[in-house]
Amino acid sequence: MNKKQLKFDRVFSYFVLAVGLFIILVPLYLALITAFKPTKDSIANFFSFPKSLYLDNFITVISNSNFFKFFGNSTLILAASLIGILVLVPLTAYVIQKNISSKYYRFFYFAFVAGILVPFQVFMLPVTQQMNKLNLMHQGGLIVLYITFAMTQGIFLYSGYIRTVIPKDLEEAAYMDGCGVIRTYISIIFPMMKPMTGTVIILNSLWIWNDFLLPLLILNKSQSYWTLVLFQYNFKSSYTFDFNLAFAAFVLSMVPIIIVYVFFQKYIIAGLTGGAVKS
Amino acid sequence: MQKQNRLIYFLLSLPAFVLYSVFFIYPLMNGFIYSLQDWNGVGRDKDFVGISNYITLFSDIRVRNTLSFTLRYTIALLVGTIVLSITIALLLDSIIKARGFFRTMYFMPAVLSTLTVGLIWNQLFSNALPQFGRLIGSESLSSNVLGDVKLAFWAVVFTALWQGLATNVLLFLSALQNIPKDLIEAAGLDGANKRQIFFRIKLPFIIPTLNIVIILTAKNGLMAFDNIFALTSGGPARTTESIGMLIYKFAFEEFKYSYSSALAILIFVIIGILTIIQLRTSERYEVKA
Repeated sequence: MNKKQLKFDRVFSYFVLAVGLFIILVPLYLALITAFKPTKDSIANFFSFPKSLYLDNFITVISNSNFFKFFGNSTLILAASLIGILVLVPLTAYVIQKNISSKYYRFFYFAFVAGILVPFQVFMLPVTQQMNKLNLMHQGGLIVLYITFAMTQGIFLYSGYIRTVIPKDLEEAAYMDGCGVIRTYISIIFPMMKPMTGTVIILNSLWIWNDFLLPLLILNKSQSYWTLVLFQYNFKSSYTFDFNLAFAAFVLSMVPIIIVYVFFQKYIIAGLTGGAVKS
Repeated sequence: MQKQNRLIYFLLSLPAFVLYSVFFIYPLMNGFIYSLQDWNGVGRDKDFVGISNYITLFSDIRVRNTLSFTLRYTIALLVGTIVLSITIALLLDSIIKARGFFRTMYFMPAVLSTLTVGLIWNQLFSNALPQFGRLIGSESLSSNVLGDVKLAFWAVVFTALWQGLATNVLLFLSALQNIPKDLIEAAGLDGANKRQIFFRIKLPFIIPTLNIVIILTAKNGLMAFDNIFALTSGGPARTTESIGMLIYKFAFEEFKYSYSSALAILIFVIIGILTIIQLRTSERYEVKA
């Protein structure tokens, strides 16, 4: 009886999970098949499998728009922001934690942590105004904003890590050996924070790569600045409404991130859950 | 040596402190000042008008409707997220074979861009679903659900859950897997049934995760932008216009700069109060448990 019940439970679990899986995959499957079909086939039957390997949608999207340029823009913005974040954020967290007894550093620590709770929309208007005034409505300006906004959560995460994981006497030993502050940080502290650096890279990469509102505010004026996400948004208005083309654009934009996910999923899952729990 | 170190520390932290002050703290304070002025963003004259923008907010029907939508949306999101992600996490925890596979698949929506997801669902709701509705002869599904005042709300909630559950399922799953296995086995041997095991043993263990999920989901719900912007743009007849969108529209489409800032500050205060209440009540609960 008990065994039978257990077996039934297990089958039931798999059944419900399979239904959930179906709901997750259906939109992605439909996006894929629609991208490979001419419009008249989709109008006749949205759900039918493509009759042949029809590539015109992809060719049109790539040749009529600067798809690779937008891909390049997204990549450049992500890479430059990440470098800036990894140079500034762990270093600043380290300096703050070394000097936490000083009022000056404690003030900034609280300012950073309190910043986590401020939704971006609260100050998006004054920020945009300011960027406009400073002539920073371009990729460089956007990168500066990403680096700045990554500080709130980043400094909080690194500070927690430094307090709990990095042993104090290790640094003192390094100082005794004649290492200066910078040498100690570069050769001992930063390498020890590797696990947290992984989490910070993943959290920020997903945010920056997929972000819509900031690029919309800062980059939308000139088409040559567009990111992949902005391209998809503007695609809606710049073409007469052809949803097969739209789906080809969606699929092309999703492919890079899905490939990265397939290869690094273990780290991405660990990084994202770790970051959420700690913040 | 000490003095020299102090100077080095100061210089090393200076770039981050300057950037944060210039691009975060300063605009935040500026937003507060805007909200006390009467500025359309273009003209030079900014008159100080005190709290009159805030008073206007409370009598503005559009703000009230938006606030009502945003609250209903957030509540639906919270209920859906808590019930569904705990259920899915329990199911994933109970199976052994293919758990890794299911986990990978269930998490995938979280890495996609919210805008892309919204645009895909927009296409599916307006083109694919009506075809399906005609196929099965359902009248309400034959027309675009995004054009229907009642159904559009649920379409917005559904797409938000489709993507938003992923991270939360994982958070609950890792909390469940941290429960000592012998504790559950012992309870089972003592004759506890499934419901008792869940409420008496598993639930107390996932309460800290539940707190995080509630705070993050509430913040996402109250500030929703990308997903609704892509799915309905606030339609039909502005019934799915969120606060986050209204702040954007006031500022960048209707050029009511000061008014938009007042709304933003008001929402910030509401979120701050809700966060404090949530933290206080959960603290009390944790002490009891």
